[in-house]
Amino acid sequence: MATEALHGGGGIADHIHPEPQGFIRKYVFSIDHKIIGIQYMITAGIFLILGGMLAELIRVQLMKANGGFMTPDTYNEVYSIHGSTMVWLVIIPMLTGGFGNFVFPLQIGARDVAFPWLNMLSFWIFPVAGLMVYASFLMGAPSAGWTEYPPMSLQGQAGTSMWAAAIFLVGVSSTLTGINFLVTILKMRAPGMTFTRMPLFVWGQFATAPLLMIATTALGAALAALFMQREFGVAFFDPTKGGSPLLWQHLFWFYSHPAVYIMILPAFGILSEVIPTFARKPIFGYKMIAFSSCAIAILGFMVWAHHMFTSGMAPALQLPFMVLTMTIAVPTGVKIFSWMTTLFGGVLRFTTAMLFSVGFVALFTLGGITGVWLAAVPFDLHAHGTYFIVAHFHYVLVGGSLMGIFAGLFFWFPKMTGRYLNETWGKVSFWLFFIGMNGTFLPMHVNGLGGQPRRTATYDPQFQGLNQIESIASFIMTAAILIIIINIIVSIRNGKRSGHNPWNARTLEWQIASPPPYYNFKHIPTVFHAPYDFSEPLPYRGLEHELEGTVYENESLQPAGVH
Amino acid sequence: MAVATIPHSPFAHDDPEVDLLYSETRELRVQGFLLFMVSDLVLFSSFIFAYLYLRSSGQGWPPPGGPKLDLALASINSVILFGSGATMHFALENWKHSKFMKFAGWMVATIVLGSLFLSGQVIEYAKLAVGWGDSGIFGAGFYTLTGMHGFHVFCGVIYLTVLLLQATHGTYTFKKYTGLTLGTLYWHFVDVIWVVLFSIFYLL
Amino acid sequence: MQQHKDPPVRLGSDFWIVTAVIVVLAILSIVYWAYAPIDSWMHEAVDRAAQIDLLFRFLAGTGFALAFAVLGYILYFSLKYRRRPDQDDEAIGLQIHDNHKLELWWTVIPTIFVIVLGFISVKLFLEIEPVNAAGGTHVVEALGHQWYYTFRYPGIHGEVKEMHLQVDQPVTLHVTAYDVIHSFWVPDMRLKADMVPGLVNTLVFTPKRTGRYNLVCTEFCGTFHGEMRSGTKQDAAYVYIDTPEQYQAWYSAQQRANANVSDAVAVASAGAVNLTGGDAAAGKTLFTQKCSACHAIGPFDQKIVGPGLKGVLHDPAHPSLVNGDKATPDAVAKILQNGFNGPMGTMPNQTANQLTDKDIANLVAFLDSLK
Repeated sequence: MATEALHGGGGIADHIHPEPQGFIRKYVFSIDHKIIGIQYMITAGIFLILGGMLAELIRVQLMKANGGFMTPDTYNEVYSIHGSTMVWLVIIPMLTGGFGNFVFPLQIGARDVAFPWLNMLSFWIFPVAGLMVYASFLMGAPSAGWTEYPPMSLQGQAGTSMWAAAIFLVGVSSTLTGINFLVTILKMRAPGMTFTRMPLFVWGQFATAPLLMIATTALGAALAALFMQREFGVAFFDPTKGGSPLLWQHLFWFYSHPAVYIMILPAFGILSEVIPTFARKPIFGYKMIAFSSCAIAILGFMVWAHHMFTSGMAPALQLPFMVLTMTIAVPTGVKIFSWMTTLFGGVLRFTTAMLFSVGFVALFTLGGITGVWLAAVPFDLHAHGTYFIVAHFHYVLVGGSLMGIFAGLFFWFPKMTGRYLNETWGKVSFWLFFIGMNGTFLPMHVNGLGGQPRRTATYDPQFQGLNQIESIASFIMTAAILIIIINIIVSIRNGKRSGHNPWNARTLEWQIASPPPYYNFKHIPTVFHAPYDFSEPLPYRGLEHELEGTVYENESLQPAGVH
Repeated sequence: MAVATIPHSPFAHDDPEVDLLYSETRELRVQGFLLFMVSDLVLFSSFIFAYLYLRSSGQGWPPPGGPKLDLALASINSVILFGSGATMHFALENWKHSKFMKFAGWMVATIVLGSLFLSGQVIEYAKLAVGWGDSGIFGAGFYTLTGMHGFHVFCGVIYLTVLLLQATHGTYTFKKYTGLTLGTLYWHFVDVIWVVLFSIFYLL
Repeated sequence: MQQHKDPPVRLGSDFWIVTAVIVVLAILSIVYWAYAPIDSWMHEAVDRAAQIDLLFRFLAGTGFALAFAVLGYILYFSLKYRRRPDQDDEAIGLQIHDNHKLELWWTVIPTIFVIVLGFISVKLFLEIEPVNAAGGTHVVEALGHQWYYTFRYPGIHGEVKEMHLQVDQPVTLHVTAYDVIHSFWVPDMRLKADMVPGLVNTLVFTPKRTGRYNLVCTEFCGTFHGEMRSGTKQDAAYVYIDTPEQYQAWYSAQQRANANVSDAVAVASAGAVNLTGGDAAAGKTLFTQKCSACHAIGPFDQKIVGPGLKGVLHDPAHPSLVNGDKATPDAVAKILQNGFNGPMGTMPNQTANQLTDKDIANLVAFLDSLK
């Protein structure tokens, strides 16, 4: 066959080591991207539980206007670690390290990422850093929020330095992952997979990788400077020594605004796989979705100072940041309209993954609209630092990123384990989550505009009613996550068998066995088209032997002609 | 059968001694290393931004009562470092032309020049005689950035020494020498950073 | 990407009905927000508030309209195109890939929207920007402390605890902070500026409506950030907009009261505090003002934020202070003077707490008297 001849050269694709034996080499210090991906997901999942528990502590404290459940200092530590956990230890590792690692090398027809050992290193830095973040509780955790603005963070307890070191390590891990992914996508796509034939999840990772690589390093610099200021008195941020508190805000947001897109672009990618698969039609406007991801990634670097409109920047600087920020609404709108139109004329199967995806589009739209509002400086002068901000970014990160993670979980779980997650309980968890999410964060818009500042252990009694609704709704959301966790634990051993392609999906990862064998493809396929044409035969050649030797207990799942 | 275009390695099949695995791996490693240098550059840029920001707001530069930098010493030091960039270039070129002894000579020269540069830095620090933490934004700008750069040079000297030892022990062939290419890239990178640092501290 | 053409799309009457409903909802939301009685929910106490609310009316009207459109179509498509029981796994939807006209429209329309919004925002921004706004004749400085505000007025010595403004008289407000970043926010004025140590930010506005307004800190500033708002134990101060007569009366009263107050900012003194002649009674009064938010006058275990301080200098069970020093009057004075920040806890310094050396001596005398 022609493809075989082309691949007889003995390049990387044919350089196959034997599968490692023994538990440690296979599952602990594995260099297999699939195992590493799952390791990331499990670790990030554990941190999601911890961060969620902190969130509930916050909500319990806020049941009453004068608090009383925790001391103000404890409360400040709790919400700071909640934010740090969710951003750096849950959403970013889950979407890049977790789903990225597991899915995209399969989707581009590669046997692994470009630097498997580096990948293993990236992973193992992450749990260590996570433990350091939590160990900071022992030394007095950081208490100035996940943003740790100096001079407040210079007053913070000893754990603040530990926190800075830990997040620095997370940053190193992210940077290495970014480099690894970018080289892999640029150099290791299967023959024939041009850029416009890449699945959209790969596009999401492709747009994210440079952000991981570049923005995270700037965060590293900020954290290193904070550490030096705190431990050695180097005058970066302390105004009494000639430093500038605003310098931190610039450095921090130069990372943390692109970080917002690190947290959402891969989730966009998940959506762009799930929606066409369950609508049974091509994604609408493939190129627009792909290019708008890149546009968002580039614009994301030019808008950081919109977090600082009240900080006292020169007005001449504020204007361009305001206008550029509003500009991001255009590519984001393009995506939302494209997903919406993909639903049009489809044959929609509302599996749990699809429910989470459609829910994502709805809630992310709301978060996006409030985002445009906040871009307008005069409005931001009122809303900055209030619960309106909290509502806005939770709509984007919980309604967006986290729902995207759940969509991806229900979608790819059969590929990871060969079994379905329970769909009935999945749907229950979706509806509970959707209701709880809106109940928790919708009233916060009103609170914020009405005058409730964020990050407070006590608040004006006039807001108590809405806060109690929020707290109660947050328990519903927690219940949903609990159901998902139980669903995972039960389904890993007892879930219904799924076969290799339960959703009838068309990207490459679904054309091989579930779970995929070590080194993924017996034979690297050749790609002829983008994957989303449901009326056409699959656009791949060279996959004929992939399922040979795969035996399913359930006869009906056995691929035709394979025994 | 219609076959789609297959991405071809430019190195492939040019030379019978260089197999496809090597040439593809070389591409990946060089590209990965370039990206690593990009993120390292961002690290430097962030601190350069911090320095320029602090310098342009508040006390002004040099900070009142702060120490004065020695332009003459720094210039000599710069010439030494740029010279080491040239010697490194000659080393790699000689390797490509299969001249081991010349390669080794130029490598030793590079390592010596790098060490000289580091000694120059230490002398400058000693002459300044102010601490990192108690010299205000001078410490934050000058010591942090030159210290970071010095650390890169220090790592580079060790890195080049390891490469030289590896080359002596036959790790690389005259056809397969990705490690040496990466070492050269790294050393040039350190050079370029110094150009920027020298300009902003001594000339600006 | 594909060579073959997309199938034609026919839109049924139900599509147009849904579209009509969405258009009506969108128009209703724009009209509603144009006339919504925002002032009755939250007073528009200054001229800027009404201007910013006008922008908000535009944002809310268009935002709700867009939300209705997206959510409406998603709901409609989800219901209409759900898979029916008679459709099997092989059933596929309309194989449409793109529609350049449609994509052009939904790129161009948001772009136009962004341009309009940008234009409105920039215009408003330039109006309220202090550089361009007509300079206020009335200059006030607001200062952030952990965890309360003080204000300085021309002609009044020292710092006063409440902010009074005169209706219809333009104000230039300079804000800064002593210790960490705070924020000056009066929700009823829709204005906010961060109070950054070492930096002065400015707001310019004209009070329009008399009354008493809440002042709230929105930048995290430490333990009692949540209490840094009007009417709490930490910070009882409100912002008042007075009639000219009321304002004059308040102003003269403050002038008289502060006639002998120093203008100097309280700063940490260099040497050790001289503790001789400390007055325990005066210390007790100070304690209730400055310390009792965190410390009870009870046994060690009676913790509020810090421990109870009964017998702090005479308690054999707890011989050490927060910094590990042995509990002596001089060591206590040192902490009160310089503050402390460590794994065991935090104490504000003399500047943050606004304590003179004499105050510290009085406080130590009081603590020593607790047995």
